[in-house]
Amino acid sequence: MGGTFVVTLREGFEAALILGIVYTYLEKIGAGRHFGYATRGGALGVLASVVLGVVVTALSGPLLDFGPDVIGLGVIFLAVVVLTWHGYWMQQHARAVKGEVQRRIDEAQATHRLWIIGLIAFTGVFREGAETVLFMWGLLTQATSTSGFASALGALLGLVAAAALGWAIFRGGQHISLQRFFALTSGLLLLLAAGMFSTGVGRLEALGLLPQSSTAWDTSFILDDQGHVGSFLNGLIGYRARPSFIEVGAYVLYLAVAGSLMFRGNVSKPRPSTPQGKVPAHAT
Amino acid sequence: MRTRLTLLIAGLLVGLVVVAGPASAADPRPEIALTIEKDQFQPSEIKVKANTPFTLVVTNKNAKAAEFESKDLRVEKVVPAGKTINVLIRALKPGTYAFFDDFNKAATGRIVAE
Repeated sequence: MGGTFVVTLREGFEAALILGIVYTYLEKIGAGRHFGYATRGGALGVLASVVLGVVVTALSGPLLDFGPDVIGLGVIFLAVVVLTWHGYWMQQHARAVKGEVQRRIDEAQATHRLWIIGLIAFTGVFREGAETVLFMWGLLTQATSTSGFASALGALLGLVAAAALGWAIFRGGQHISLQRFFALTSGLLLLLAAGMFSTGVGRLEALGLLPQSSTAWDTSFILDDQGHVGSFLNGLIGYRARPSFIEVGAYVLYLAVAGSLMFRGNVSKPRPSTPQGKVPAHAT
Repeated sequence: MRTRLTLLIAGLLVGLVVVAGPASAADPRPEIALTIEKDQFQPSEIKVKANTPFTLVVTNKNAKAAEFESKDLRVEKVVPAGKTINVLIRALKPGTYAFFDDFNKAATGRIVAE
């Protein structure tokens, strides 16, 4: 029971983290009535996961050999793109929103870009979703025996625990300031996306689409990436015990490019977001 | 949105057949069988020639899905119950490469390239 609990908790954690962050984000920018974007994205992610799970079970041959890989890679890189885009946008906002005074955002601009939030929720759920569906399905078919039932129950509880974590993030997010929330989550999402990017590039390397590079280092004696802590950190910030040079390069490159894109504004002078500088005097 | 996504997935799959079909047909790479049975890998150690690409043919004889995963090989593939999948592995440098079933961490094994 404990084993299956950990599996689904880990698979569901990333989705819960991302959903927790996007809901808090919407709430924080005063777009709470647009929760539907995140909900629809997440629900579509669940739907796509079930469809892919069913399709994978029905497939065989080259489609089964490569189909999930291609979809998996597509989702990884799509997630990196939307997370980066969102991080950039969030930084623009953090600058525009000076204190809690001006927390109302430009409505038109926001609605125009809220579908990105939906896409983030979608990729967050879909990335590990099909796997989780197949795992759960296998357990449920064996739930007739006592041990099978315990395993299935453990897995369900793991999903519940992941959901509770997402909820806790949302609740906790209410109590911290907007600035701190932006700072915390943009840092976290940056590392998450860097890990994803590095993972995607590593897959391309393994598939032979990128030249093979040797192992950069081996820290498996300190922290193995197959254990509970290691694989958790692997999912969260892309920790690898034996990364290749290309993977390390991809990670660093992503951090440098996306980081400078996001935090550039902290160095240069912030651009006024209100047209013609119509900032009320008391807000400065 | 849903239809666009379906189209996207369908397009990817079609593209895949076009790309993967001829590539796998022309490949004379050796095939190595690996079976998941009674929650264990059979065999749990596979010896391969270093610097030679090969195909790992993974069959899941369990009644539940397994996920063949290897951090060292950058592979993460679900093997539904009763199914067989092919995993193309690149030429490996001499060394040991661990793999495991991500759905059942008790099942582990390794590939030794020499």
